[in-house]
Amino acid sequence: MVKQKKNLEETASEVEPIAVEEVTCEDNLRPLLEEIKKSDGVVGYIQRNTTSAAIDLNDPTKVTDYAILSSSAFEAGEQLSALFDLGKIKNITVEGKDTKTLHLTIDENDISIFMEKTADTEKTLEKILEKSGF
Amino acid sequence: MENDVFSFVLRNTLTEITNACPDIQSIFLFKEDGDIITGEERTIEEAAVHTVDALDEILEKAQALGGLENMSFEGTKGTVHVSALNGFYLVTVVPEKADMKSINTFTGILVPTVLKLLERITPALNRNCPSELENEESRVKPDVKPDESSEEIVDRHERGTADAEKVLPEPQVNQFIVENLRGLFASADTVRIDGDTLSQWTELYEDKRIEEAAIETFGGKSVRCKLKPLKDSKLEGKGIIQIPEKLQQTLDIKKGELVKVKPIIE
Repeated sequence: MVKQKKNLEETASEVEPIAVEEVTCEDNLRPLLEEIKKSDGVVGYIQRNTTSAAIDLNDPTKVTDYAILSSSAFEAGEQLSALFDLGKIKNITVEGKDTKTLHLTIDENDISIFMEKTADTEKTLEKILEKSGF
Repeated sequence: MENDVFSFVLRNTLTEITNACPDIQSIFLFKEDGDIITGEERTIEEAAVHTVDALDEILEKAQALGGLENMSFEGTKGTVHVSALNGFYLVTVVPEKADMKSINTFTGILVPTVLKLLERITPALNRNCPSELENEESRVKPDVKPDESSEEIVDRHERGTADAEKVLPEPQVNQFIVENLRGLFASADTVRIDGDTLSQWTELYEDKRIEEAAIETFGGKSVRCKLKPLKDSKLEGKGIIQIPEKLQQTLDIKKGELVKVKPIIE
């Protein structure tokens, strides 16, 4: 990975200072999610698209439960949208007695953020939308 | 009767909320067992049934968050809010630019207050009282009716049992709502229904083993498959049949549709 970066830098200096590697949305999202995870009260995230998935949770025993919860939320969102003509689902929030979650889709990537009850969902959502450019 | 009063009061409350908040597209309450109380005509009961179905899994999985308190699905054209209130779930559907302040004031204050009042002033209406449970039981259980179309008659001679004098009743046809059956160990030719119905059938057919059932769609397609009780106790009493997706494709049905199920007595 380091080697590849070095090569890219070399190429850039030799040719033109233009984009030399294809940057996907997923590449941008991962660092953003890592940053979000460091925010106060955020306990982890799940990001998945049709080809890959990334899970980072403070409590690994919750992986299965949270993964199912995440897919259930997106599935329910689609069904309710069709049922009540809600349009494209912008975000889903699920607030439990102990933990809360925020789910949103960014460019084919389904993202679920898991937070403590005290965390600021609005702030987290704003941060994601702002930094992801959506 | 008691339950009727309870529903009547809640129904009127929901109607008044919609009168006060014309922004509300749809509002209804439902209980964990799937019992639905709708307000005014704007809420189509069928949509409410499908909503409960759509939320079923997430409500169950929300236990991982300590149990659901609130949930919202915000779309570009509208939002669905779900709040847990005293054993009920309140669902409110609003358009994009709805006046959420007044809606939240009414739904967040009025409904919990009415629920609390109902429980306090009429302990007899408590949802957990035995008479109430009896009412609910009769409502939740799927319709049981004799299969009028079937000409099948139980052949006593073929069975060659000692009680050859007895005639077994005609196989009953129950209607169930289709639910997906997933999982590593889900067999492609096995469906799951609630244990109570299986017990009823066993009782009805004098302890004959009922291991298979004929599933018939309203489109006329039918298959014979193995029968097992539901594993998930939360699905019990909801009139649900879990069918593997491959079998659903064979029957040309999907989750949420109704099918007729007839036990095969052997």
